[in-house]
Amino acid sequence: MTGRKILMDFEITATSHSLDDYRARGGYEALAKALRTMKPREVTQEIVDSGLQGRGGAAFPAGRKWQGIDPDDGQPHYLIANADEGEPGTFKDRWVLEYTPHTLLESMLLSCYALGVRHCFVYIRGEYDVPWRRLDAAVEEAYAAGYFGENILGSDFSCDLFVFRGAGAYVCGEASSLLGSIEGTRAFPRNRPPRMTVRGLYQAPTVVNNVETLSTIAWILRNGAKAFREVGTEKSPGTRLISISGHIARPGVYEVELGYSWARFLHEDCGGVLDGRPLKAVIPGGISSQVLTGKDAKVLTAGEVEGLTLDHEKLRSAGSSLGSGGMIVIAEGTCMVRLLQIMLRFYHHESCGQCTPCREGTGWMHRIIDRIVAGDGRSEDLERLNYIAGFNDGTTICGLGDAAGYAATAMLANFRDEFEYFIEHRRSKFAGNLE
Amino acid sequence: MTAIFINGQPVETGEHTTVLQVALANGFYIPHFCWHPELSIVGNCRVCVVEQEGRGVGIACNMPISDGMRVLTDSEPVRAQRKAMLQFILLNHPVDCGICDKAGECALQDYHYAYNGEPALSSDPKLHSTKFFPLSERIILDNERCILCSRCVRFTREVSKSNVLGLEHRGDHMLVRPAEGRTLDDDPYSDNVIDICPVGALLSRSFLYQSRVWYLEPTPSVCPGCARGCTVQLWHRKPEWRLKGLDERHNTRIQRVTPLENPRVNGPWICNKGRDLPTLLDRPRAEQALLKGAPVAMTQAIEAGRTLLDQAGKRVALVSSWGSNEELRAFRNSLGDYFSCFVKADHQPAEGEVVEDDLLIRADKNPNTRAGQDLFGTAAAAIPEDTDLVLVWGEGVDFGTLPRGVKILFLGSWLLPENGHADVFIPISIQTERRGHYTNFEGVVSAFEPCQPRRDGVIDAETLFPLLSAPGGSASGGGAA
Amino acid sequence: MKHLIPEFERLKTRLPPNHDATLLVPCLRRIQEDRGFIDDSDIDGLGEYLGIPRIQIEEVLSFYGMLRRKPIGRWHLQVCRNVSCSMRGAERLIDQLVGKLGVQPGETTSDGRFTLSTVECLGSCGTAPVVMVNEAYHENLSAADLDALLERLD
Repeated sequence: MTGRKILMDFEITATSHSLDDYRARGGYEALAKALRTMKPREVTQEIVDSGLQGRGGAAFPAGRKWQGIDPDDGQPHYLIANADEGEPGTFKDRWVLEYTPHTLLESMLLSCYALGVRHCFVYIRGEYDVPWRRLDAAVEEAYAAGYFGENILGSDFSCDLFVFRGAGAYVCGEASSLLGSIEGTRAFPRNRPPRMTVRGLYQAPTVVNNVETLSTIAWILRNGAKAFREVGTEKSPGTRLISISGHIARPGVYEVELGYSWARFLHEDCGGVLDGRPLKAVIPGGISSQVLTGKDAKVLTAGEVEGLTLDHEKLRSAGSSLGSGGMIVIAEGTCMVRLLQIMLRFYHHESCGQCTPCREGTGWMHRIIDRIVAGDGRSEDLERLNYIAGFNDGTTICGLGDAAGYAATAMLANFRDEFEYFIEHRRSKFAGNLE
Repeated sequence: MTAIFINGQPVETGEHTTVLQVALANGFYIPHFCWHPELSIVGNCRVCVVEQEGRGVGIACNMPISDGMRVLTDSEPVRAQRKAMLQFILLNHPVDCGICDKAGECALQDYHYAYNGEPALSSDPKLHSTKFFPLSERIILDNERCILCSRCVRFTREVSKSNVLGLEHRGDHMLVRPAEGRTLDDDPYSDNVIDICPVGALLSRSFLYQSRVWYLEPTPSVCPGCARGCTVQLWHRKPEWRLKGLDERHNTRIQRVTPLENPRVNGPWICNKGRDLPTLLDRPRAEQALLKGAPVAMTQAIEAGRTLLDQAGKRVALVSSWGSNEELRAFRNSLGDYFSCFVKADHQPAEGEVVEDDLLIRADKNPNTRAGQDLFGTAAAAIPEDTDLVLVWGEGVDFGTLPRGVKILFLGSWLLPENGHADVFIPISIQTERRGHYTNFEGVVSAFEPCQPRRDGVIDAETLFPLLSAPGGSASGGGAA
Repeated sequence: MKHLIPEFERLKTRLPPNHDATLLVPCLRRIQEDRGFIDDSDIDGLGEYLGIPRIQIEEVLSFYGMLRRKPIGRWHLQVCRNVSCSMRGAERLIDQLVGKLGVQPGETTSDGRFTLSTVECLGSCGTAPVVMVNEAYHENLSAADLDALLERLD
């Protein structure tokens, strides 16, 4: 067991995603209570008090983001649930959408109430079909039951929700880029300032939160900030959904209480490395810790993993992060050069092309690693990769460029010998093996 | 008053809101590709980086001013990042300056020498893309040279509003493209994208391979195409680069026209008609004075003109709306008392031409109607049947509409059939041969300078008018200089 | 696309007023679902309906990987080849499909039955490898599973 549960506190059945089942679990009670007894600002205060951090990758305090919005300023505000889950290795939001979509919807209603939002959106990645169907059905159920629309549950609060399906662009997971997508333009990330809570969707104050972050809110309102604080660690309260994949015996989505032992999680809860092979490395939080942060993404070697607990502050001090909660386990015998090739190909493919360093740098790095893998590597290539990666770091509009850079620098820092071997011998130290 | 420190020096920010604007306004140059004062901020080139002390390196175009902030435009981290950005930009750029029209006035070329100066870091093959993509009859696009700054796209979206251009695809295969089925021929302001392109990606087809820009120099002038009176630069060969094999006229030919930035009139833009001034100004010229179609010396023609004036009882003048402020005043001073004067429209909107819009183009296709009307009133021309003499100054009058038997004194610049039908025809100079001013429809006065020698056999109107009015005296000395 | 307009109108009811351009991607998706691709005439019709210049629609169309302007095969096989899937055999699945179908990724079989594509992460890392067939995910695929799957697709 991976500690106390907040989102996975029910048994999955054929109907557990339905409104009836959700209500039987106490669903929508927090909404009814809040509408009856709380002012919008009190809801926000509860979230501030809970210490909830964003679960999309940046781990920014959710309450503090919300405080950027004045619910009574008389202008339209928007809330967007970011379900554009495209970070390789990450599939946790999909779990929420498929198995308990009403948790998200109730949480969004509470959030909209707190933020003075009349129209909210779920931006769900274009490829997700079953998760979308489940979500869409839940939305219709919620509308039919009067949870959305005019004068919800007899209150003054009215709210509409639009499920916006993406169309295949990783960069839309970046919150400001997703705004462009909803506005019907190319999804280019936007420069800050202005912050989105100042000028976001349709130029109005906007909050974009990750699905998992938002979904936690119903629980916090139902049980109180204090109860939430009791879960997890002092600085990282609550739980995280960890989606684990790669060379692991039992891949899947796990809810892990923050502060839980990593070694225990890997070796006991997830059954250890596939086929009992030795552990080589772990990518802890999505290959780029989601587009937003990048900086925190780092490959951890087997030795580094053993003593760590799963929480934001420990991982940050280890030079990495929980990021998007997309953990990829890599067994000994895997060719890290080929793995980096896949990552760099991905960033090159997904670069939106707007700003110079990422547009040119991701392609440049991709072509260099392709050449190395083709057996045509040159001695200066590694230095060059580090140079390109270094100037993708912090120079771009969004984190995609950073992330591409970190992927390269982290791999080169930890597994430089493999790259040198590949260049010198024109072949992989591990026969190009990925499996 | 907000003040910030740039490189340790205090500067006042004035009306400006970003570090880039303040720096440029105070003489601290920060290189930039995508930023343009008339376009939205996109911050995509990442070259305009500065270091804000204590906050690290960031782009100046989107860095808001805060009182007392300290900014460095040339610190080591700034230099390193600028250099890296130029390496990135040049990665797939063909560096074909040797055959690129933009060379010599290319921001990329200038910045390379100023801020990078090192050979490419990559020796791998460059990505190839479309060359010579026609955007219109007037403009070609070289996608290999394009650095995707999106200035041209934003221009068609935000300024000309033709919405012709966009960015298609993504990543390093993103391309500037026109909407399918459309071209920049739909945009009467399209050629401005050539000017604002910081590199050699957008090129004028009429200027393509015509001249190296460093052989040219601009003369400030005013576009006579409409009553807006946009200030322009007429580019022609520098005297020191004169080609010995060509005559004076060819050596002083106007090779291209660009806007002369002018916040009171046209900002940094002009319309395509302004770009086509050479076509208007290169029309065959009248260089021979005529009496009823027969060639005569200029002195003889002036004498004949004065005689017509003396002998006529009822005289009407149709004054040119292409005359300069100086010429119009000279006309009034010398001849105003002799004539009932009316300002006429020398040019009417041509077929297919944009008549009027809300950016620059005015329905009055003449540059100086305003100054003429200030002197001679706004009444429409009325020529009584018993008029003895009509003085026609400039184009636009159909002699067939004049009263039968009236004497015609015609002052014109172009080789036209009417010249021979006038009783006296005197050829006069054009705008590029003399100095002067136009007053635009809003009353803004702009100056133009000569850049071509006055043709033989042609007289300046300003010189001519006093000679025509001189009582009984000789007209000698009024000929072409 | 004209016959879909009543559907588009219904979508507007949950959107804030005067932001019709928001419907661009949803409409393009719906048109593609209906026709199999987005035709030239759809672009003009949609531009008129939403009040969007044609270039903006073209920009959006070319930005997103899922939108296409040409018809493809009856079955669109999209194999994820990102990190986790590659670690669980995706590259072998791609080789298997290339061999079996006789086409390279990005191509359609001559009988118009299959179009083969490779894609980046589909969010099936825990059930890797995954092949997306039209809308549906087929996860945890072994070589034998893939053969059996192809048999079922006529």
